[in-house]
Amino acid sequence: MPETRPVPFRGGGFNPAGWRWASWIAFAAIIAAWQLSSSSGLLPALFMPSPLAVLEALARLVETGALTRHLAASLQRIALGWAVGTLGGLAIGTAMGIFAVARSIGLPVTSALFPIPKIALLPLLILWFGIGEPSKVATIALGVLFPTIISTYTAIDGVPRNLIRMGQSFGLPAAMIVWKILLPGALPGILSGFRISSSIALILVVAAEMIGAEHGIGAFILAAGNLMQTDQLVAGVVLLSLLGLAVSFGLSRLERWLLRWR
Amino acid sequence: MRATLTALGALLALALAGGQVQSQTKEKVSIAALPFVSSSPIFIAKELGYFDAEGLDLEIKIFNAAQPVAVATASGDTDFGITGLTGGFYNLAGKGALKIIAAQSREEPGYDFVAYVANPKAHEAGLRKPADLAGKTVGITTVGSTFHYNLGKLAEKHGFKLDSITLKPLQSIPNMSAALKGQQVDAILITANNAYQLEKEGAGKIIGWVHQETPWQLGALFTSTRMVEGRRATVEKFVRAYLKGTAAYAEAYLQKDASGKRVFGKKAEDLYPIQQKWVKPEPQPQTVLASANFIDPQGRLLVKDIYDQVAWYQAQGLVDKDVDPRKFLDLSFVQGHMQVPQN
Amino acid sequence: MDLIVREVSHRYGELRALEAVSLAVRAGETLALIGPSGCGKSTLLGIMGGLLQPSEGEVLTSGPLPEGCLNPFTYIFQDFALLPWRTVEGNVSLALEHHGLGAGERAERVASALALCGLAEFAHAFPKQLSGGMRQRVGIARAIVVRPALLFLDEPLSALDAQTRELLMEDLLAIWARERTTSIYVTHNLQEAVRLADRICVLSRRPGRVKEIVGVEVPREERANAEHARALAELQSRLWDLIRDEAAVADREMQNA
Ligand SMILES: Nc1ncnc2c1ncn2[C@@H]1O[C@H](COP(=O)(O)OP(=O)(O)OP(=O)(O)O)[C@@H](O)[C@H]1O
Ligand SMILES: [Mg+2]
Repeated sequence: MPETRPVPFRGGGFNPAGWRWASWIAFAAIIAAWQLSSSSGLLPALFMPSPLAVLEALARLVETGALTRHLAASLQRIALGWAVGTLGGLAIGTAMGIFAVARSIGLPVTSALFPIPKIALLPLLILWFGIGEPSKVATIALGVLFPTIISTYTAIDGVPRNLIRMGQSFGLPAAMIVWKILLPGALPGILSGFRISSSIALILVVAAEMIGAEHGIGAFILAAGNLMQTDQLVAGVVLLSLLGLAVSFGLSRLERWLLRWR
Repeated sequence: MRATLTALGALLALALAGGQVQSQTKEKVSIAALPFVSSSPIFIAKELGYFDAEGLDLEIKIFNAAQPVAVATASGDTDFGITGLTGGFYNLAGKGALKIIAAQSREEPGYDFVAYVANPKAHEAGLRKPADLAGKTVGITTVGSTFHYNLGKLAEKHGFKLDSITLKPLQSIPNMSAALKGQQVDAILITANNAYQLEKEGAGKIIGWVHQETPWQLGALFTSTRMVEGRRATVEKFVRAYLKGTAAYAEAYLQKDASGKRVFGKKAEDLYPIQQKWVKPEPQPQTVLASANFIDPQGRLLVKDIYDQVAWYQAQGLVDKDVDPRKFLDLSFVQGHMQVPQN
Repeated sequence: MDLIVREVSHRYGELRALEAVSLAVRAGETLALIGPSGCGKSTLLGIMGGLLQPSEGEVLTSGPLPEGCLNPFTYIFQDFALLPWRTVEGNVSLALEHHGLGAGERAERVASALALCGLAEFAHAFPKQLSGGMRQRVGIARAIVVRPALLFLDEPLSALDAQTRELLMEDLLAIWARERTTSIYVTHNLQEAVRLADRICVLSRRPGRVKEIVGVEVPREERANAEHARALAELQSRLWDLIRDEAAVADREMQNA
């Protein structure tokens, strides 16, 4: 029998399936390294508080009950602002996905207004909406509106045209085509737009709470920054990231449920 | 106009000569400052060659908020800093990295600086003097700002609770102006030139001045602990030049006539090009005069007031309990500090 | 219901796709539409069912609607055109939802259409869980659930493999035997045309014109019998002769020239 050689294996790799514990281990390692450099004096408290100090600041927030107050105030603003911006964005984006006129008007207007930093508009927002809740909600809603418009109308653009023709061939009225074919077909794109817009809402809560807010995570972070209380500042930032993680987790669950047909 | 031009020419010649002859041998130092008239002893001392005379080559780094000035000095990005004293400053100083060495602005009776400005409606409804602010809504920049402190002291003086004022932290002067114009707040605290502007537009009424209510030490020149320990001689030279600047500033801007009215003469006119060069946004001559607040000509601090400030911020829970003024005050560079506590 | 196409021409901008096409489809028959690639078959089918406005000419119908007909002109698509987010049942019921039927009647109609297409056990499956053949069965069920007067099929089997195609052809034949729905069937596959159609309309290359209409003499039920194999093979080769040269030329043309 002639000599045999095994065929060399050249597949494998390029398959970044998640490794469950990797993220936890990485987190723990980073925090441990941080604590070590803090307690060894390598990282002076002047520049960065130690994780323990941050934890203490968080504990103080919990003890004094300030945490619930700040969370409640911010969550209310975020939820309301996000909902208003999202509903507006869905309506405008859908109109732009369907009507040529809406698109020709909406596209340049959106492109012109999207990049305006909302913080620059704060004095105007104060004049229009006052310094109570409406201006804070409006800041977040404005930030959420434009990315939602863009993700909605691109998602509607992406719905296969043959599905619309199918709907027409069965005599579905236009409203039914929008409701039963366009919107569900655009849902994956709209949902991934939610990921972006919810992050923007979290980012903007700090800007929103620049306007005369007594409570709220953003107000807390701002006050800590102004007072150079870096431990509280980092604690507030940690709270925001936790909130971001929670929202992202919730959205993943929602996606998995709504898009189970994929 | 002619005088201004001559002064400018003389300045230029001086700057050029100084720059060419000695720059190699001079010691480099830097300071963080805000582009305000209140920083101008530094600008004057630099432009008139007082630092050069001490053998210092000064670089002025302009910042746009008080906080970064303190942070830059604490972190060693600059050797010195000059700005207002806030809760944030004390928290930073309490970490041991900063030393206050001389005075900057002070709210001194007779010198307008920060005003209480009411919106016209509230004014009509009876908000006529700062003591009436009890129970009102007042816009400030931030929690722990100098404005916050002023209100706290005001409440103490008139015997009402600070809690009775609804404080609205609005982060910036434009936001505060907008809130006043939109009648979202009954009053704000704001510096003189802005206060005059609001009154001119009919958007606000000046109902009083902080110096009439609660005089206090508002700003300071400071350096890092590292500088004081490692380059003491340099700090001494710096302070000498700075004090020549404050003296020149006082001569130009802090003079009064026999009746106690402030008067500005040719000296103020001569210094205008310097203000024009450094102050942002570029001021009109009358803006400079409106903004020229009191700065002790000899750089002396109202020491007891700094102790009081720290105690007040600590009582509000805005400054950490272990912050101790004794540790960040270095009174050895300037003679004759006022009201030094004896302990 | 009869369908009459009269002098229909169609242009896409400068491109002439159809030129003076006239033909009549008789009630209950199945007409196959063949012709070289790009000759305008899909265009003609779209015009026949009212999805496309012809540049010239008109399309008429005559005769009564079948009983219970909800959507007279109904299509079955080459790419199935199923909504991936609806189950099999949901996809079929989509065609009924705007007709104001009671929930009970709708469920009944859907269930019987599914049963007819052998989909009863898959009612709650999503399209992605189905094979290509099963997906097209859903497309067929969705079409017959509305009891169409005219059924338009645009290459309904061309996305499927040969074995699945064979099975589905039998299903279609069974359905036609029951419902006698007037059908127009576009295909590239001459064997399909010969197996399924009563008459076969051959179009010329673009711009498409009716070149010839050929009847299939053998009754549909008997076409699987061995005795007819030869006659059918001859018919198929005759059709191939008719379109071979056209197809060769069409093949060299640029698609959108
Ligand atoms: N919407 C359109 N716009 C412009 N040209 C089109 C359009 N639809 C089809 N055409 C062109 O018209 C001609 C006829 O197209 P049609 O799809 O009707 O042909 P077909 O016979 O169905 O082709 P195939 O065998 O490839 O399915 C082709 O050349 C095609 O490129
Ligand atoms: Mg086609």
